[in-house]
Amino acid sequence: MKSLRFTLPVALISLCAVALAQSDAQKSFDQLKTIAGIWQGQVAVDQPEMGNGTLMEVSLRVTSRGNAIVHEMKALGTPDDPAHYDHPVTMLYLDGDRLLLTHYCDAGNRPRMAARTSSDGKTIEFDFLDVAGSTAPGHMQHAVFTIIDANHHMEDWTYMMPGDKPMHAHIDLKRVQ
Amino acid sequence: MDLEWSDGQPIYRQLRDRVIAMILDGVLKEGDPLPSVRTVAAEYRVNPLTVLKGYQQLVDEELVEKRRGLGMFVKPGARSLLLQGERQRFLDQEWPRVYATIQRLGLKADELLRSSATGRRSGDAAPGAAESKAAPSNAGPSEPDEKER
Repeated sequence: MKSLRFTLPVALISLCAVALAQSDAQKSFDQLKTIAGIWQGQVAVDQPEMGNGTLMEVSLRVTSRGNAIVHEMKALGTPDDPAHYDHPVTMLYLDGDRLLLTHYCDAGNRPRMAARTSSDGKTIEFDFLDVAGSTAPGHMQHAVFTIIDANHHMEDWTYMMPGDKPMHAHIDLKRVQ
Repeated sequence: MDLEWSDGQPIYRQLRDRVIAMILDGVLKEGDPLPSVRTVAAEYRVNPLTVLKGYQQLVDEELVEKRRGLGMFVKPGARSLLLQGERQRFLDQEWPRVYATIQRLGLKADELLRSSATGRRSGDAAPGAAESKAAPSNAGPSEPDEKER
């Protein structure tokens, strides 16, 4: 009886913690669903000599009865032909108490990242977990979604070049659809 | 304009290889500017992030440099650096196979020199295709990269 009095509260606290973590992941996932649509915006890089201002188009689509979000990005004006052009696809989904993404890179590999959410819930940051496939050409390492409002969000993508040199791109996106 | 990309390696590596070929062929000279990411992305219809990766690779390999407010430029010494690498790669990877074939066929150095001089003189003719024609003593082609050796 005495041990039950001790273990029951511990179990309840653990269950609450899991429930809270789940709700955080779910909250972030639901937040990302609000930005489903077509977006366009300019790319900025840490080294402006390489050239800023190129226009990108990003598409976010809720699929699989709400269990996944498909994210695609491409240069604006490129034909919609991912089999031929370098249009990487990213899938975002819940995995238990975690929000994960798998990036199907045009470099051929598939890194996975896990989400952290800021206290205001507006910034969802994905940290590298692991990668399937060859990392010889480098791999995507980090991603951040910052939601400003229903018609404005920003994305930051960091690619780890061979030799572990990060290359960061920032895309400021406005909703077009 | 569309380019065909092979499936064998990432597009950014193919872009990087294309710039390298242009430097080696003298199309892009040392000090020449590289086209902007925007131009390359639009012209070749590739993702700008792909172009950025290709350019970053060239920077990491010390073949191009960033000039603040101006853009990306082929670095002085880039061609020499590339030739050095290519020569070493030839000596390490290709020459042992070629040498083994020469040994197997019992070819002599003067035969090889005569054959390659004749081949070069006759344009696209395969080396050895005009072996009967003797090369004049001064027919050796110029060595454009002699000073870099």
